[in-house]
Amino acid sequence: MLALVLRGFLQRKVRVALTAVAIALGVSLMAGTYILTDTINGSFGTIFKTASKGHDVVVTPTQTLGRNVRSQTSPITEAMIARVRAVPGVAEAAGGIFTPGAILDTHGKRLSTGGAPAFVAATVPARFESFAPVAGRFPASPTEVAIDQATAQREGLRIGQQIIVAGSSVAHRYTIVGIVRFGGGESFGGAAAALLTPEEAQRVVGDPGHFDEIDVAAVSGVTPEQLRTRIRAVLPSTVDVRTGAQQAAKNTSDLEANLGFLRTFLLIFAYVALFVGAFIIFNTFSITVAQRAREFGLLRTLGGSRRQVLRSVLYESLLLGGVGATVGLLAGIGMAHALDQLFKAFGADIPDSGTVLQTRTIVVSLLVGVGVTVLAGLPPALRAMRVPPLAAMREGVQLPPRILTRRGAIIRVVIVAALVATDITKGPALLGVAVAALIGYILLLRARLRRGGLPRRAHVVPALARAIGVVVRWRGITGRLAEENSMRQPGRTMITAASLTVGLALVTLVAVLADGFKASIDQAVSRSFAGNLIVENSQENREQGIPAEVAARLRAVPGVASVTPIAFAVGRAKGGTSNSRITAIEPATFASMYRIEWHQGSNATLAQLDGSGAIATKEYASSHHLKVGGTIDVLAPTGHYVSLRIVGIVDENAANLLGDLTISRALATAAFGQREDALDFVSYVPGATDAQVQPAVDRMLAAAFPQTRSQTEAQFKQDTASQVNSLLTLIYVLLALSVIVSLFGIVNTLILSIYERTRELGMMRAIGTSRRQVRQMIRYESVITALIGGVFGLVIGVVAAVLITTLALSGSGYVQAYPIGTLLILLVVAALAGVFAAQLPARRAARLDMLEALASE
Amino acid sequence: MELSPSHDGVPAIVEAVGLHKRFGEGEVAVDALTDVTVDFPAGGFAAIMGPSGSGKSTLMHVLAGLDTPTSGTVRVAGVEITTLNDRELTHLRRERIGFIFQTFNLLPVLNAEENILLPLSIAGRKPDREWFDRLVDTVGIRDRLAHRPAEMSGGQQQRVAVARALISRPSVVFADEPSGNLDSKSSGDVLDLLRHAVDDFGQTVVMVTHDAHAASFADRLLVLADGRIVHDGEALSTEQALDLMKSVG
Repeated sequence: MLALVLRGFLQRKVRVALTAVAIALGVSLMAGTYILTDTINGSFGTIFKTASKGHDVVVTPTQTLGRNVRSQTSPITEAMIARVRAVPGVAEAAGGIFTPGAILDTHGKRLSTGGAPAFVAATVPARFESFAPVAGRFPASPTEVAIDQATAQREGLRIGQQIIVAGSSVAHRYTIVGIVRFGGGESFGGAAAALLTPEEAQRVVGDPGHFDEIDVAAVSGVTPEQLRTRIRAVLPSTVDVRTGAQQAAKNTSDLEANLGFLRTFLLIFAYVALFVGAFIIFNTFSITVAQRAREFGLLRTLGGSRRQVLRSVLYESLLLGGVGATVGLLAGIGMAHALDQLFKAFGADIPDSGTVLQTRTIVVSLLVGVGVTVLAGLPPALRAMRVPPLAAMREGVQLPPRILTRRGAIIRVVIVAALVATDITKGPALLGVAVAALIGYILLLRARLRRGGLPRRAHVVPALARAIGVVVRWRGITGRLAEENSMRQPGRTMITAASLTVGLALVTLVAVLADGFKASIDQAVSRSFAGNLIVENSQENREQGIPAEVAARLRAVPGVASVTPIAFAVGRAKGGTSNSRITAIEPATFASMYRIEWHQGSNATLAQLDGSGAIATKEYASSHHLKVGGTIDVLAPTGHYVSLRIVGIVDENAANLLGDLTISRALATAAFGQREDALDFVSYVPGATDAQVQPAVDRMLAAAFPQTRSQTEAQFKQDTASQVNSLLTLIYVLLALSVIVSLFGIVNTLILSIYERTRELGMMRAIGTSRRQVRQMIRYESVITALIGGVFGLVIGVVAAVLITTLALSGSGYVQAYPIGTLLILLVVAALAGVFAAQLPARRAARLDMLEALASE
Repeated sequence: MELSPSHDGVPAIVEAVGLHKRFGEGEVAVDALTDVTVDFPAGGFAAIMGPSGSGKSTLMHVLAGLDTPTSGTVRVAGVEITTLNDRELTHLRRERIGFIFQTFNLLPVLNAEENILLPLSIAGRKPDREWFDRLVDTVGIRDRLAHRPAEMSGGQQQRVAVARALISRPSVVFADEPSGNLDSKSSGDVLDLLRHAVDDFGQTVVMVTHDAHAASFADRLLVLADGRIVHDGEALSTEQALDLMKSVG
């Protein structure tokens, strides 16, 4: 039996290849995701190990609010280091600094890091130093800097040249005295690093007298574990004490946790592609099983059992799945590289030294690939099994009705949902739910289509095909025939179209949501912002803040009337498990540039923010049972509790500036360790214009704070929109894979349909249809199918977006917006995809040997 | 259109000279046609008979521009067709030739009217309504015009096929076993229609058949055996034709 399957396989090379690709693409994204994340993990593991070289014990600030929240004011001081030095068994202890900053050339342009962050680091004693000079030396004076080799090479920097290093204080120029490279030959994950003397690094970071960590070396005879215990005993709970090995392990596990998000994010797209692939396999097997009904009947007549027929089809899907998954796995290595490049293109460099192919990747990829294929091929196999022996004798055999109905559809939704859920539980569950809902909808729709009994015209597909046929009908008979042909097998057309629907629905969903977010931010800014300029860090992802000094310097610029600094911090309500967003404002100036929508209180209330006063949003107040006059204890990143007294309640929503709690800027510094500002709002003196003031502001910023920039309201909106667009593009690229998979489905269905219509095509050619007309006809049929998929995708995507936003984002200030242009483009893309998919089948149909076609059965 | 006069003075619509058709090469080569020279005058109804493998279908395919001969020439309506490329041949078939096949003549997705008009639709020509009505009444399917093939009997489908073959007023209609799949009543109807087309519309018809009764509707009978014409003459009665077939088969 297997030999028979194999022979059939070889005879249908093109189809097998097309179908295998459908599954291989999804598997490759899955394997690529694992390989990429494992590789990143592996690279950083090496980096962390190198970095902990010579560190027997490491002291770091306690991260009370989770691994990604770090207090801007470190509890580690010279005094604490002195205390560590006094511990018996300590050979040496030194403070280290490694903080994100900006490295710029003397013109104020950021050195390119390929999107990776830039760090400001302090030199440490030789035994702790993970950097080694490849040229020159380490900095010895406050005006000297050493820079990492990769950045130096990329920017053509040499010893003796000058660069600017900026952090949380006024930027200075430094002379390059050394080119260094990270120990062990690893680049530091593509990141740029500027090494300064410890004192200068502290000044740049804006935290004089403080360090990010203490590196400790033990005297011989004292184990790291023993030393750790001794040091722990003398230090407060605001710091963690770990052995070097523990620290490396913690860094790795923190990274892994952060990578988990990336992995889940990418796996979603892999699952979508696999799901689309499953559609194609199901469809292809359904069609071929129908075409081979006589063959199965013959097998049964010759004494083949139902089980044997079932097995022959299952073997075929097993083999196909095996081929597809293997090809996918191998392609996954390339895919990992492609993903890496993709992220680089979108400004996120990730280290990729030595591809890591774990056994887990191989097992999971093969299992999922084969599993999906066999699962998708099962229903058609069951139908083949039920072909009666008599089918061999009959002309135009009808297959027994499909076993799968609504119940089957629901079962499959559950299977897919479970599959998706295993990896998505901790990720963006919303998208998962949306995908599951979409899948369910399509399957139910299909189950309805399949039940039959309905008059042909009552089906959704013919109605849609009719409507869409308008696009091609004007082309005369070829258009008309294409329209009719697409309605011949509504179920088949539907499933083929549905595979495209999945991808396009998700694209639509994302596009609509993104448009809504843009509109929401736009509206929020328009409604609330009453200033003239917004000053912020020019770094793209808006994670880094601006020095607090910027506000004071801005006030001195001619034409500036007022400046109000805004900072963001996080805290955690006592007894709570999640962090609260805290906005810090300057009470005296804030209201002049921001329109607060008060629920309880007025702008006069701001005066009470001094000291421990706080304003809560309406939503936060009600969820935390807060009333004006009440208090709430909040854990600050510093590890201390701060008692806040509620003085007012605002009606703000998520898109707006004010977080769950709003406190005074002074309190943020004193109690939350928040040194940097996030933004400065600037307003002009009456009558002043952007043209007069902004250049002056920019000149001051360029000179003292080259890492910052000013934006008008319009520029800020534009910039926000372009950031959303950038993420949107990344998602589009990843979803494109699913669309490509569905193209293979269209190609496959067309080829199989053409095969069924061989006689008909022969007759048409005989009576004078030209090859061009045949090609046109196939192309139009493909376009109609693709457009059916496109229209469904658009409708489902928009409906899903509206559902998600009304269910999950109501009251958050989300503004519904529809990117009509994008949606129209999507339809055009769908149509073009149809044209593209028709290329091969149309050529095949046009080249058909007329006489053979006429003679075929 | 310049037509060479045929032996009895009527211009020939289809004219073949020295046709050879060889399938395969070397030892397995089969000669389907050997030195066939024949012409079909306008307004004639010729039947081509012959046992299986005699080359009768190949002859029709070559005459109709569906296949090319290994050597020899074919002229249809004065046009030498053996040198035409695919596009030109397609045009020739579209403009000058009508086809009726044994089965599967109609597109299942089109109704009877659309099927009849298909050759004109393909050519992008406006139908001559008067001619269409006349044909529809002649073949007697007016009440079936809106039906799709699946909703019609075999005989009705074949009558639609006859109307389709005639709609573009072709120079010649090739019919390949047009009654092969029909019961005797429907079969007679379709053959009557072809006869009618020749007599009343002056249509030229070339029909390939293995059925002596069908051949008796024609006014000329050609018999092929082993790729050669072994008989060319007046149509024969069913019995005479059967005897002749026995002698060559």
